[in-house]
Amino acid sequence: MALFTRAPKPEPILGQNRAVAFFLAVLTWIIGLLFFFPLFWLVLNGFKEEAVASSSPTLIFDPTLDRFREVTETTNLLTFAEAFWNSFWIVLISTFIVMTLAIPAAYSLAIRPMRKWRDVLFFFISTKFLPIVGIIMPVWIIARDLNLLGTRTVLVILYTAMNLPLAVWMLRSFFAEVPKELVEASQIDGCSLLGQIRQVILPIVAPGLAATALLCVIFAWNEFFFALQLNNVGASTIPVWVNSQQKFQGQFLAGLSAASVLATLPVVLAGWVAQKRMIRGLALGAIK
Amino acid sequence: MSAVTVDQLNDGGRQSAEDQARAAELKRLERRDGWRRRIPILPALIYTILVTQIPFLFTLFYSLTDWRIDTPDPRQFIWFENYGSLSGDTFFLDSAWVSVQMTVMAVLGSLIVGTGLAILLDRKFFGQGFVRTLLITPFLVMPVVAGLMWKLQMFNSTFGIIGWVMNQLGLEPVEFATRFPLASVVVVLIWQWSPFMMLIVLAGLQGQDQSVLEAARVDGATSWGTFRQITLPQLRPFLELGTLLGAIYLIQVYDHIEVIVGGQPGARNLPFYIAGRSIGGGNRFGLSSAYSIVVVLASIIIANIGLRVLSNLLEDDS
Amino acid sequence: MAEVQYKDASRIYPGTDEPAVNKLNIDIPDGELLVLVGPSGSGKSTALRMLAGLETVNQGAVYIGGTDVTLKPPQDRDIAMVFQNYALYPSMTVGENMGFALKQAKVPKDERAKRVQEAARILDLEEYLDRKPKNLSGGQRQRVAMGRAIVRQPQVFLMDEPLSNLDAKLRVQTRTELSDLQARLGVTTVYVTHDQVEAMTMGDRVAVLNFGVLQQVDAPKTLYSKPANKFVAGFIGSPAMNLFDAESIDGRPAIGGVAAPISDSVAGQLGRVDGAAIGVRPEHLKLASSGIQGEVTVIEELGSESFVHVAIQHMGERTTIVVRDEGETETTRGQNVHVDFDGPIHVFDADGERVD
Repeated sequence: MALFTRAPKPEPILGQNRAVAFFLAVLTWIIGLLFFFPLFWLVLNGFKEEAVASSSPTLIFDPTLDRFREVTETTNLLTFAEAFWNSFWIVLISTFIVMTLAIPAAYSLAIRPMRKWRDVLFFFISTKFLPIVGIIMPVWIIARDLNLLGTRTVLVILYTAMNLPLAVWMLRSFFAEVPKELVEASQIDGCSLLGQIRQVILPIVAPGLAATALLCVIFAWNEFFFALQLNNVGASTIPVWVNSQQKFQGQFLAGLSAASVLATLPVVLAGWVAQKRMIRGLALGAIK
Repeated sequence: MSAVTVDQLNDGGRQSAEDQARAAELKRLERRDGWRRRIPILPALIYTILVTQIPFLFTLFYSLTDWRIDTPDPRQFIWFENYGSLSGDTFFLDSAWVSVQMTVMAVLGSLIVGTGLAILLDRKFFGQGFVRTLLITPFLVMPVVAGLMWKLQMFNSTFGIIGWVMNQLGLEPVEFATRFPLASVVVVLIWQWSPFMMLIVLAGLQGQDQSVLEAARVDGATSWGTFRQITLPQLRPFLELGTLLGAIYLIQVYDHIEVIVGGQPGARNLPFYIAGRSIGGGNRFGLSSAYSIVVVLASIIIANIGLRVLSNLLEDDS
Repeated sequence: MAEVQYKDASRIYPGTDEPAVNKLNIDIPDGELLVLVGPSGSGKSTALRMLAGLETVNQGAVYIGGTDVTLKPPQDRDIAMVFQNYALYPSMTVGENMGFALKQAKVPKDERAKRVQEAARILDLEEYLDRKPKNLSGGQRQRVAMGRAIVRQPQVFLMDEPLSNLDAKLRVQTRTELSDLQARLGVTTVYVTHDQVEAMTMGDRVAVLNFGVLQQVDAPKTLYSKPANKFVAGFIGSPAMNLFDAESIDGRPAIGGVAAPISDSVAGQLGRVDGAAIGVRPEHLKLASSGIQGEVTVIEELGSESFVHVAIQHMGERTTIVVRDEGETETTRGQNVHVDFDGPIHVFDADGERVD
């Protein structure tokens, strides 16, 4: 079997020579493996004994699951189970709210635009240019005065605000891809507004919805700053838990690696499954 | 003759009354339609204003006071005194300079690497999908984990990979994160953000108009010529989008700095510095708010320039 | 089934001064197929969409079956529309697409299935009912779009360039099928096209629009033989009518130094020749031994006939006149020939209106 095949239609940019193509394929493989290497090493370290992980790098060792057991079982201030469920609920609820708010907004920006819709879209994007430090102090004080510091609620509120502009932007682009005539045809066919959205528009934009929701999940799951600043230990999330696995004495690299693997895995798996949709969602959706 | 005239008059009168009624009804319907168009956007709009704009007004207010969290809420107005002290605050100026360097290097670096990766991936070869998956993964990794991972298992001089490689090459390993804090952070940022840029550029490459490329080849253009004169201009909006989104996120980097270099001045950007001087324990709320306002203003100016340059991203698509 | 009326109907897009459709008045009797034709930007699609309820009628009114529907939303107008790109719902099968409107109208399931079957039979779509639109050819999609309209048994069919996405051969074939179907069903139809051949072959009557203003509405034959103004004269007919600003010879309109043989009454009505225009269709000209002098530049040979382009001097400028030649005389490029009048001549006054 040939190691490489030339694409028949999309002509590659770099040379069309077979030897060049082979070389480039090998080069791409090497770069891909290099990019992945730190993660590969992370996973390996997670299966090592602390002493092995904290000495000169080696590929030869007795794999053990002990580190995974330790990090999930230790009862620190914040346990893995607590952090996981905190993250789970915060991400789930905030993403749900984001989509609930963004879908009608995107409909209104793309399918039946009001006058000056562009200004409104610009406003949404511009809030992403507002550095978080510009609002963190009042947010902290308001949260403190409302007794929300150290609750999941405050993170749900903030993650929703953090992801909403991105979601509106991406969804608007997906909605804009729905042919105008389809909406008109459904109007003529006597479809109500809700029926129109449910039966005609949503089936078309479903992949876009999935990509958008996934991106919101990734950003919310990985968020660290708010979780660190606004949450004392009890209600905090997975990134804070991972960070707390650093110890000031003794060897901890293997345990930390195991914890990192656990923290990263859900999002990485989700991203792998949905990578093609994300390409569309991120770029085609936003450019269109 | 006169009867016809009267008739016409009557007819005209009735017509215009009907027209008026219709016009009034039309106006009513249009108003209702206007609200139907606006209402769906209101929840998202109101939410965003409540959570982002209102706190910002508070920040603006705090920045005019001498408020420290340890004094019992005096909030004494000192007007622009906080702003006046900024120009003499070397820590602030240093952090600002770090912010600029870090953002520019990380955005440009990941844009260049990402474009290269996209070009390499945009050809069929054995295992293309698999390699793409490998390349995407860094973007999905939690920033905290990325930071810890690089700091401990890559940069660390005793058990880090880079140190080990240097050892093999007969070089003396160094503690990267301490010696080159800014570069260390930027490397990790580029590692994480190149895949993102790659995805965007890849989408651009795959959305290219093939007939134009073929026409260029028929016209005898070299591959490089085709790339420079046809592909690159077509990629422009995608590169712009990557720059825009990358800048939005990278200017706010906090997690990587916190994890990799902690408070080292060499890699302390504005978000990190400001957080440290306020809720991070510094308690200088008034002063920090003034910092924040300056950052916001600078961001708005840069963003406006950026968006104006990239204005075609916001153009109509109909 | 019903008659349709536009009464002084205007559409002014927000932010513009020029109406896209300006005081349109057309009465379409029950069962007629009326074609709206015009160049792009003429307002023909806008006029159709006003009838559909997809565009606001800013002034005037639109009636369907005697009822004022000006302010009614599309779903309350009992119409069906066929779109240029067909607008088939991609997530639904052919059968679901065709039955969608009936489902919205809460027609019972059995009745719905029966009507979809019936329409599918008429359009030869029975074996495709379970397919998704993306698995159909262009022609099949077009038929599904037709089917979706037929199933509803509406008062009016609206068709917005329904054939323009088909290839040339299929377009001609579908054109005939569609006219035939419309005649059999007897449903009043408003049909928009930019293609004047399509307009002439399909329409019971054809309405020509330009810049939002109705130029003429008449049977195709009349439109061809008695165009109401210069625009219609130039727009209808292929190849186009030869249209010239008239020069004056002894107070009579002339082309290339040769006075056109028009009746005294037409000449009398016209009066001043200045600013008037004169038009002759290629088949009403012939190559002859005397007449307008010129040189053959292009010969379009069609087999049964040929169109000879002759460069002539007219009002001091070199211009081209097209003559239909039955092929009786041998002509070659560069040959010097004479062109003579051989049939009706159209005269338009300084406002571009026809003088009869």
